[in-house]
Amino acid sequence: MTKKFKASIERYNPDTDDTPYFEDFEVEYEPGMTVLDALLYVQDKYDSSLAFRWECRGGQCGSCAVRVNTIARIACRTKVDPDADLVLQPMQKMPVIKDLVVDMTQTENRIRRIRPYVARDKPPERPEIIHSQDIEILREIRKCIECSACLSNCPIVHETWDYPGPMIIRQLARLELDPRDVEDRIAMAMDEAVYSCTTCKLCEDICPKNIKIPKLAVELLRAKAVEAGYPLLAGQQIFVDSMKKTGRSVPEKKTPLLKDLGTEEFLVENPIGRVAFFTGCLIDYRMQSTGRALIEVLNRNNVDVIVPKEQWCCASPAFRTGDMETAIMCTEKVTKIFEDAMDKYDLDTVIIACAGCGKTLQEDHRPLIEEMRGTPPRFKVYDMAEYLIDVVGMDRIVKPTGELDLKVTYHEPCHLGRGQSVVDQPIELLKLIPGVEYIDDPYKNRCCGAGGGLRAGKRDLSMQIAKTKKEYIEATGADMVTTECPFCTIQINDIMKGTDIPCLYMPDLLLESYKKGDEKKTGEKRAKAKAEA
Amino acid sequence: MDELPYKTILCDVLVVGAGGAGCRAAIEASRLNLDVIMLSKELIGKAHTSMAEGGYNVSLGNVDPDDNPETHFKDTIVGGNYLNNQELAEILVNDASERVFDLEEMGALFDRTPEGKIAQRTFGKQSWRRTAYASDRTGSEIMITLVEGIRKESVRVFDEIFATRLLVQDGRIAGVTAIDLKYGDYLVFRAQAVVMATGGAGRIFTVTSNAQLDVGDGYAMAFEAGCDIIDMEMIQFHPTGMVAPESAKGRLVTEAVRGEGGILLNNKGERFMNNYYPEVMELAGRDQVARSIMTEVLAGRGSPDGGVYLSISHLPKRIVEFRLESMIEQFGDAGVDIRDAPMQVSPTAHHFMGGLKTDTNAQTTIPGLYAAGECTGGIHGGNRLGGNALLDTQVFGAIAGGNAARFAKEHERPGVDRKEIQKEFNRLEAMLKRKEGISPAVARKELTDLMWSKVQIFRKEEEIAYAVKELKRIEKEVVPNIKVDVPIKRFNPGWHQAIEFGHMVITARMVAEGAFMRKGSRGAHYRVDADPDDDGYYNIVIRRGSKGEMKLQKEDLVITKIPPP
Repeated sequence: MTKKFKASIERYNPDTDDTPYFEDFEVEYEPGMTVLDALLYVQDKYDSSLAFRWECRGGQCGSCAVRVNTIARIACRTKVDPDADLVLQPMQKMPVIKDLVVDMTQTENRIRRIRPYVARDKPPERPEIIHSQDIEILREIRKCIECSACLSNCPIVHETWDYPGPMIIRQLARLELDPRDVEDRIAMAMDEAVYSCTTCKLCEDICPKNIKIPKLAVELLRAKAVEAGYPLLAGQQIFVDSMKKTGRSVPEKKTPLLKDLGTEEFLVENPIGRVAFFTGCLIDYRMQSTGRALIEVLNRNNVDVIVPKEQWCCASPAFRTGDMETAIMCTEKVTKIFEDAMDKYDLDTVIIACAGCGKTLQEDHRPLIEEMRGTPPRFKVYDMAEYLIDVVGMDRIVKPTGELDLKVTYHEPCHLGRGQSVVDQPIELLKLIPGVEYIDDPYKNRCCGAGGGLRAGKRDLSMQIAKTKKEYIEATGADMVTTECPFCTIQINDIMKGTDIPCLYMPDLLLESYKKGDEKKTGEKRAKAKAEA
Repeated sequence: MDELPYKTILCDVLVVGAGGAGCRAAIEASRLNLDVIMLSKELIGKAHTSMAEGGYNVSLGNVDPDDNPETHFKDTIVGGNYLNNQELAEILVNDASERVFDLEEMGALFDRTPEGKIAQRTFGKQSWRRTAYASDRTGSEIMITLVEGIRKESVRVFDEIFATRLLVQDGRIAGVTAIDLKYGDYLVFRAQAVVMATGGAGRIFTVTSNAQLDVGDGYAMAFEAGCDIIDMEMIQFHPTGMVAPESAKGRLVTEAVRGEGGILLNNKGERFMNNYYPEVMELAGRDQVARSIMTEVLAGRGSPDGGVYLSISHLPKRIVEFRLESMIEQFGDAGVDIRDAPMQVSPTAHHFMGGLKTDTNAQTTIPGLYAAGECTGGIHGGNRLGGNALLDTQVFGAIAGGNAARFAKEHERPGVDRKEIQKEFNRLEAMLKRKEGISPAVARKELTDLMWSKVQIFRKEEEIAYAVKELKRIEKEVVPNIKVDVPIKRFNPGWHQAIEFGHMVITARMVAEGAFMRKGSRGAHYRVDADPDDDGYYNIVIRRGSKGEMKLQKEDLVITKIPPP
């Protein structure tokens, strides 16, 4: 029998309807079926007036972007999952004309504002000599088909058109990188609020052409702006200055974790593995207890933990804002510290509990070091949850036993999910905790607004994005939101003030359950001893 | 007849269509200080041009220095089976280099030679490596560039406007009627000169590489307006379209795969082109390769999904990744890694060699009406060479735009016949009001299946005759009874398809009538029952008779340099 699934499609004809509504259709599944196929099926079988755009059905024209289960993608290259419902909605930020067809006028206006063509001050020679190496960098960024899905998903565009969004900032970078273009695209990028992007990478994740917009456009334009002498935003400069001087992006308050620990070695009997712990600035200087919790959780899982005493900032704030000089200096330091630790303690794994640091070591340090010396850093980098689930493994993991009676949802840090492809592991960890009812937030992977230097440099905009995030979290009905990034934790706790939903860092919650389990055990032991006596 | 409200919009030059040719024409016209409107049936930049993959032919000689326009001309004529209008073909090859430099000046980036010149690759039936390219997304590169160009020029872009009928006043073009797809309003565009750049009609066949919008609007509108239409029986079936999965059926697999060294194999693993065209193998003409593939399939030597195998896995992965990136993506979606595994391919309706008859000024037989790109006929004869279509859009787009602008400068804007306008809008309105009738989806399927089964690659007298008879019946019984299920005007695809259906039927009939008249095999037109006495060295021109009938006549070839053998 043919498999069937349900497609819920948002319908709206502003001539006759006050508000949009959903209409459900039953669709017969065919292997390889795309969202576009499903839409055409509905149009042919049930309602020929169902409005959506499409042309080439091959990912070449960029007409068919719609929101598929909350995230905008091109329909012709998005596969249908026959085992789940399919929810289709029009793109956001663009007013609906009818059903899934949106008005692109503002988008077109926004594109035209950047003079989106190669500007010349004189006609070129014919033939014009252009060398491959000068345009190689343009290859990827040039592939954009203007489907506009990234604009619909962009958390910044969601708040303001002051920022032109990924697709258009990409066109600016494309022009900046084109040796033939004579405009001052850096000045234009500054005018176009290039420092508004949080580098959340949602644009990159859904791009049908896999264009790494945050790196190839946003961070590249920022680096060029710094090179051209534009100062960083005031709030950002402090961090960068601080990391250059002290190795930490924030000033010291209470005794840092690394100073307080006293030893580098946290060893267990019969270890199943040995790792070095990269703390990052915030765990060292602000969230010392979380750092201790992480060490303890790993130890409880029979993993030796080495915490090098002298650590250095990963320079994420410098990478994100374009201060490449500082970024390179920090990259070299971090690589040396952990390669030394490898040799000294005979290990090859570095654990990070900060999404931002992890992403930076994986996506920024690795290629940079490889470019500088021919080989990437010798150590492997894992996120804590990734390490516990994938390396320690379900059969060896020591499950926490203390019951926590909580409805818990999860915020997926951008630089963990999209930055390191760690998506399911933190949730699996959460589900290990007895008593915890995990509530899935369909918007869990939306940016909290802290990253990319935004919290430091543009606090108002950053909090606006956080406010949207708050609405998503509240809609889940959870008692608590957990995450795996100190920066997200601070930002979310900030915005959740005044509600009774706290944001907790994953290692802290885990440890709480372990400790509660200990008490239970001791209690049971005592009771048993008493009974025996 | 109801008096339906409509709005009239004035301009000097109206360009109908916004693909490669339309954009190029609009850019050219706007540079002559005129008010130019470009109508786009889709959003700007989404036209079928963006789906062209392989390249743009230009005899720059950057890789093979002995190449020149003369050789390009010869290849084009021989490849076209000598049916090409040689005056037009000369212009095509001579202007090729200037137009590619125009694109570069606008911002296009083609792949380079080590010296920094435009790189060139092998394509079918060409004496030298001549095809300029940007990986295998050349059409996309050109489309992106033209959109950048349009955004720089003062062209007024009206997107999602569907032109339905040409308005002719006292024998001169006067404008078009149209509907606004977004809101359903009736519109009239008036201009001194009009450029048709409406693309092809692959969508009249069940299996096609073409985008949704390629239904033959331009051919039908021009025929109705009394324009001469040439070579409509000449349809290129691209030899390599995807066969699986079902929803990807017909999608183009670029000739660049074979150009870069891809080989065709049957289910016995034999490189079967050796049995058909051993000298050129996979790089024989597209018509020849398509027939060879179909012969293998019909003989039971095909692949499981009804095609043959196309393999590139013997090439270094690095080359495949650099030069065929779209193919990797396209087949990756279908679960095939072309770096290791063969593709399954079979022919797909791809390109109309025929279309509006134009002169060396790109003017049609209606004064003031110009045309460029796939909607025109005559340039490519019986078979278009891969890489000559993108070229065609640029060369004749520029000529059509420039000449339309000059015509517009020299003439007053004509009046329009408001009765005729009302009649047209009432026709469109009737589709919405009809209570009983046939839905466009059903009608469309009947038409495309008919064309695919009866007027395909191998053609037979009685099958074509049957198709003509059926098409006449459809014209009489189905077209006037097309009914839109939901009677609203605001973005209603059902209505759009209903209007398109009329254009599809007229286009299909021109194809079938032309195919019926041509008794011998020539170029893409292959008759299994070919009359040996018909050498086929003529063109077939179709014109609307005074009673609306389709009149066909044979015309002599336009020859400047190379007579047929």
